[in-house]
Amino acid sequence: MKQLTEITTPFSEVAKTVSLPGAGLDWLTQLRQQALGLFERQGLPAKKVEDWKYTSLWQLSREGFTHDAKASTLQASEVADAAVLEDAYRVVIVDGRFNAELSNIEGLESGLTIKPMAEAWDQAEKLLGQQIDLDKPGLNALNTMLMQDGAYIHVAADNSITKTIELLVISTADNDRLASHLRHLVHLETGAKATLVENYVSVGETQGFTNVVTEVNLADNASLNHFKLQHESLGHYHIATLASKQAEGSQWHTNNISLGSKLARNDIHSQLLGEQSHVTLDGLYLVTGDQHVDNHTRIDHAVPNTTSDEVYKGVLDGKSHAVFNGKVFVHQDAQKTDSSQSNKNLLLSRSSEIDTKPELEIYADDVKCAHGSTVGQIDQQQLFFLRARGLDETAARSLLTYAFAVDVLQRIKSEPIRQGLSNVIEKRLPKGA
Amino acid sequence: MTDESQQLESITQKEYKAGFVTDIEADSLPPGLSEDVVREISRIKGEPEFMLEWRLKAYRHWLTMETPEWAHVHYPAINYQDISYYSAPKKKDDAPKSLDEVDPELLKTYEKLGVPLDERARLAGVAVDAVFDSVSVASTFQDKLAEEGIIFMPISQAVHEHPELVEQYIGSVVPYKDNYYAALNSAVFSDGSFVYIPKGVRCPMELSTYFRINAANTGQFERTLIIADDDAYVSYLEGCTAPMRDENQLHAAVVELVANDRAEIKYSTVQNWYPGDENGKGGIYNFVTKRAACRGESSKVSWTQVETGSAITWKYPSVVLQGDNSVGEFYSVAVTNNMQQADTGTKMIHLGKNTSSTIISKGISAGRSQNAYRGLVRVTPKAENARNYTECDSLLMGDKCGAHTFPYIEVKNPTAQVEHEASTSKISEDQLFYCKQRGLDTEDAVSMIVNGFCKEVIRELPMEFAVEAQNLLGLSLEGSVG
Repeated sequence: MKQLTEITTPFSEVAKTVSLPGAGLDWLTQLRQQALGLFERQGLPAKKVEDWKYTSLWQLSREGFTHDAKASTLQASEVADAAVLEDAYRVVIVDGRFNAELSNIEGLESGLTIKPMAEAWDQAEKLLGQQIDLDKPGLNALNTMLMQDGAYIHVAADNSITKTIELLVISTADNDRLASHLRHLVHLETGAKATLVENYVSVGETQGFTNVVTEVNLADNASLNHFKLQHESLGHYHIATLASKQAEGSQWHTNNISLGSKLARNDIHSQLLGEQSHVTLDGLYLVTGDQHVDNHTRIDHAVPNTTSDEVYKGVLDGKSHAVFNGKVFVHQDAQKTDSSQSNKNLLLSRSSEIDTKPELEIYADDVKCAHGSTVGQIDQQQLFFLRARGLDETAARSLLTYAFAVDVLQRIKSEPIRQGLSNVIEKRLPKGA
Repeated sequence: MTDESQQLESITQKEYKAGFVTDIEADSLPPGLSEDVVREISRIKGEPEFMLEWRLKAYRHWLTMETPEWAHVHYPAINYQDISYYSAPKKKDDAPKSLDEVDPELLKTYEKLGVPLDERARLAGVAVDAVFDSVSVASTFQDKLAEEGIIFMPISQAVHEHPELVEQYIGSVVPYKDNYYAALNSAVFSDGSFVYIPKGVRCPMELSTYFRINAANTGQFERTLIIADDDAYVSYLEGCTAPMRDENQLHAAVVELVANDRAEIKYSTVQNWYPGDENGKGGIYNFVTKRAACRGESSKVSWTQVETGSAITWKYPSVVLQGDNSVGEFYSVAVTNNMQQADTGTKMIHLGKNTSSTIISKGISAGRSQNAYRGLVRVTPKAENARNYTECDSLLMGDKCGAHTFPYIEVKNPTAQVEHEASTSKISEDQLFYCKQRGLDTEDAVSMIVNGFCKEVIRELPMEFAVEAQNLLGLSLEGSVG
């Protein structure tokens, strides 16, 4: 096998010495061992791996993170400030471990189960790891060999959960160079419905590493509204995989908002395995300074009559670098696929860089697939229009930037979530340069 | 299967028309590749020292390189020692001095291909530099072109007559280190065309080359170099065919274009190499590096290609937009049928200020073929106000074929406006029904719809080529189901 990389890291040593929850379970130990074997062969992907062409993990590999978390001093009020929603079931993970005191998962609606992953291995066994590709160059193997905790969410058949679940993953300055490897599993049985917000945030300045895999399994006619907000410190690393398997008639609506971190990478993979299933992948990235954000999405239309819809928008300021790669893969039997994708980018500064690549791979003939991608700047005429009406340059630019980004938010149907996300985003919007 | 699909099937299975073998004796080097072979090619051509040195450097570099594997094509590894790197029709005595002296068998070949080499050529206003396997056999209209100061001759001749130009420009756009096949070509290239349009001259006629691979087990490694000096204009046409053979033949060409201040080059290709039979046996491997440098300000290069042949196509005609206000264009129709595989597209590298590029790519896949568009648009930090518009459309005919799009967009300057659009569709039952209701049979209806789909590209072709291209489209797709 071809050596994928020369990047070596201390992670394998950690995996051999650290004691992880669930170590007594044979199947889990085996899975972690298998992942360790793979990781030792592959290492971290280097830039010559096509999927990592524009994103270098070299710096990350040199950081020397710790894996020992001290007890956190996080207060309930700080958690409330960090949350997007006031009224929600709250699963709080602090510095890589579930925190029962700060969470609010008592008195759940019927049909809903929420547990920390470290206590739910048995329930998760059947589906854990089924949604992701362990071999793929990336960090899935690293995550699997070191996964320590996360959230296990299960909705029994035909239950519609009315209250939103907010999964709040907080990194604190108490453990400012911590690497945490989290694994979430969301399983919706036939006809079940739920709304989930994943919220990744730093309290204080952190320079840690969040390595997370979220697996989503949707049975027939299940429906999940799935939001992800990432606004960790600008010294933080965030690498995430979000993967789903969807059965007949299921719906997965995702919205991926990336604002924080020095380096953020999201691999989002939707597998449409049942007819009439649908996926929406929306995303917004706002980056400035020397931030680097990379969104890789892939949609597999594996069977006939499935649909997908994707809108990703980016605003780049400072010396930031954004990468978008959206692949739509239509398998040979997947007739009547209908897929559309768009990626639009706004460059605000001289030294920002965008690399975008919308890809189509189509092996069926009776399909409708379209994608579009644009890169541009603030329109001078629009700017002139606003200036002529008395706005100063800064305000006018800021307004136009907001107008560009707000599209993605307007696609969110739930009012409290849209409001919660808008509040965070508005603070991050560049004020015009 | 419906009647319609059967009908379409039968049309697609039409035979390859240019698949005859010309029976003439050839001087070939035995198969194999080594420094001695490179030296021998250079010796046969009586090349000056600088060419040999350059070839050897390229060969030594090639040995260190690996076959590129990133393209969306699959084929068994090529054994480069099984290929003969030089084949020329045996010379009767000396080189032919006029058309009358050219081997009549050769002339007959061209006649079958419809190349207007003789008097008809004059009427058609086309000057042909025909490349038969590896040596240019005859070039027409040289005198008339010479009056204008235009140089149009085989590159092997240009090496002798204009060594200073060749030395200055060869490898300046595609260096021998550029990629695997370019390095191979640089080491063993046999012949090709050389065009130089002096300052301020507008070339009075379309220049044309016809490539044909004849001898078995030979690779064709031609190298074309076109230079348009300040304010010059030239339109260059290239057509390609090859006889039917069971083995796969290799074609690794390099084309370099240089446009100086305000110069314009229009380069059109109709590629109809043998695509192999319906089971994918035989056919040409077409691994080509084509690149243009818009060196001067306000210069323009336009690539137009109609790709219907070859078992495998690996080809990305590119434009490096160095001069301010320079313009790059790429218009492409790629048709794949049966077991053909194509991975083709373009690169537009924006370096100068106010540069603009347009990419229109139309892919049509039928049978069990795979057709990929792969492109790069790069805007570098100093390329102020760069503009790109890209449109890639795919048309699928049949449920066993594939259509793919891999566009890379890299922007490092905020003043850039870059747009990319792609769509994939099939010929709908409604469209067919509409046409048939008005009295067209399925074949004509498909042909009409396909030609409509490709119109934006076809209209960029010079007149004679446009007709040929439309016929080719019809031929390549006959029998494909909508």
